[in-house]
Amino acid sequence: MIVENDGIADTLELRRESTLARGEVMGEICHHLAPFQVGEKPVAGDTVIAKDLTIDSLAIMDMVMELEDRFDVSIPMNVVAEIHTVDQLADTILKLHARR
Amino acid sequence: MKSLPTRNSKLALHRAGFASVPAMLDYAAEGETGVTFYNAKGEQLSALPWSDVRQRAHVVARKLIGAGFARGERILITADTWPGFFDSFFGAQYAGLLPVPVSIPVGIGGKEAYLDQLRRQIAASGAVAAFGLDDLAGYLGEAAREFPAVRLHGGMDVLHALPEKPVDLRPLGVDDLCYIQFSSGSTRHPHGVQITQSALMANLAGMTGPAGLDVVVGDRAVSWLPLYHDMGLIGFLMAPLSAQLSIDYMTPRDFARRPMQWLNLMSRNRGTISYSPSFGYDLAVRRGAAQVPADLDLSCWRHAGIGGDMVRADVLERFASTFEAAGFSDKAFIPSYGMAEVCLAITFSPHDRGVSTDTVDRTALAETQRAVPAADPTDDRQARRFVLCGRVLPGHRLEVRAADGKVLADREVGRIFVSGPSVMPGYFGEPEASREVLSSDGWLDTGDLGYTLAGEIVVTGRAKDLIIVNGRNVWPQDIEWAIEAKRLTKNGDAAAFSIDTGEGERVVVAVLARVSGEEARIALARDVAGAVREAIAVDCDVALVPPTMGLPTTSSGKLSRARTKANYLAGLYAPASPSSKPAAA
Repeated sequence: MIVENDGIADTLELRRESTLARGEVMGEICHHLAPFQVGEKPVAGDTVIAKDLTIDSLAIMDMVMELEDRFDVSIPMNVVAEIHTVDQLADTILKLHARR
Repeated sequence: MKSLPTRNSKLALHRAGFASVPAMLDYAAEGETGVTFYNAKGEQLSALPWSDVRQRAHVVARKLIGAGFARGERILITADTWPGFFDSFFGAQYAGLLPVPVSIPVGIGGKEAYLDQLRRQIAASGAVAAFGLDDLAGYLGEAAREFPAVRLHGGMDVLHALPEKPVDLRPLGVDDLCYIQFSSGSTRHPHGVQITQSALMANLAGMTGPAGLDVVVGDRAVSWLPLYHDMGLIGFLMAPLSAQLSIDYMTPRDFARRPMQWLNLMSRNRGTISYSPSFGYDLAVRRGAAQVPADLDLSCWRHAGIGGDMVRADVLERFASTFEAAGFSDKAFIPSYGMAEVCLAITFSPHDRGVSTDTVDRTALAETQRAVPAADPTDDRQARRFVLCGRVLPGHRLEVRAADGKVLADREVGRIFVSGPSVMPGYFGEPEASREVLSSDGWLDTGDLGYTLAGEIVVTGRAKDLIIVNGRNVWPQDIEWAIEAKRLTKNGDAAAFSIDTGEGERVVVAVLARVSGEEARIALARDVAGAVREAIAVDCDVALVPPTMGLPTTSSGKLSRARTKANYLAGLYAPASPSSKPAAA
């Protein structure tokens, strides 16, 4: 009985996760960050958000809020405090989304 | 869920005059009012009548006493706006322990800076336990690791897991301390203000009394202010509690995200008292004006207080005109002045007057330290407008003094000193730092500059180098240190200060550019701004100073931020960062 339930939960989780592709999350993040890029260097996975771009702290907060709304997740403050790069932000959103 | 009532059905409104925090909670718990927590969508999360707050605090107190914590020991608490803070703060009050409320992490990538702050606060307060939001339990553990004195730490589950023992409560009384307020001193060398029960009671009496907000039956408080600041904790928890009011809360984060929810909450729950630094009113206009709900009704807002940063008339005028159609009256504004060293408040503007300003000549102000009325108040280059912040509370005194200690006359600018029953006994465990600001006859050097005008105080700036941005106190040393920590500059090669843009403070960092080539210069400026943003969550402009020029120093060889700023404003240093906006003097 327990095993069966677990199986169903796993299937549901997989199905949910498959509806959100990493590319979609990255696309959304880059869309938010593109106006703040420096020079010709495009926003990429290893871009350090607070450092490599000209985005200010209020705009970062706005972006995180919009991403949370867009993907229906809530990023805990301790997790936010450990995010530095675009990749880390995308992975966090994917992980939380899968866990919904 | 039903919101808690604004009025108590039977309990008479008793305005301050209690002996201690436990005594005022005991009284409020006899009524039906209390605190309600709301989320960013304006939905009610939970509601605690004061009777529940007291009941839960008693349970926590018996657990803490049962766990062997000794009277007077310090308990660090992350002061987010959530019921756990109430449980632990008031639990400590009934257990004879001293709460040490601390902030929560800000922004992305802020972990290391936050851990560093926690460690310094544990060290400065000598805390023996640390409790917080479940999300922060790991951080508390990491910070506490190097402090063997911290016997218990974690989320609220750790506190609730303690057995409740049949012990007697040992509430803090009139001769005890109440808590330790961190908000003064840099995060590198934090000073904890000792808030005593008696000073707090005196300040609450002033705040809720006729010279303060004159709290009456029917008042209801609404607040998004952080509970780790004196304005949030004393102004919007202790003061409403001392008059048995109901309070509606949202978190500072949710306010920053959805400022209109603040006004919606006022309107829906018929709030009458709410405060904000100028920047909060500004945020509400900038991000809320486009989405004002048709049914917003702010005609209930009796006292719209301003404090915590320089009061800005232009911002308040914009707020009033934006929300006039929604029933807001500009007469509701109460510019106020205070600091944690006097618990919270020291002056309040008169009721029903709104913002009263004095426009003075910039040159006379800068060169002769005199506030001479401007010949042409509309000429922004020559005229500077300041807001009158009202009279000192009854039983207290305020003086503006010259450098030699002489008390100055009206319109002469000097340092602001205050004395009276609200003044702190000193910083916790810091006799030397306390002596620097407190005289033996009880006068506090506020570190602020200002002048008097017909009995009211006008604050013109700060004698200290403190920077206030978006309501946050930021010490320039912390900014410079963040840059040095990233090894972007050597010690003493960076000077941080703020400039008044007319709309707020803008942080500027002047750094010695020991690099050559345009690309390297741009990279340095970007890295400096990035380091500051990451460590302090503050945006700054960067000015590159040629190494040959050097940064100005005082006669004793210390970095002079004031002269660096003067040089910058005189155009000696060109802004270098690609993100730099032109400086406005």
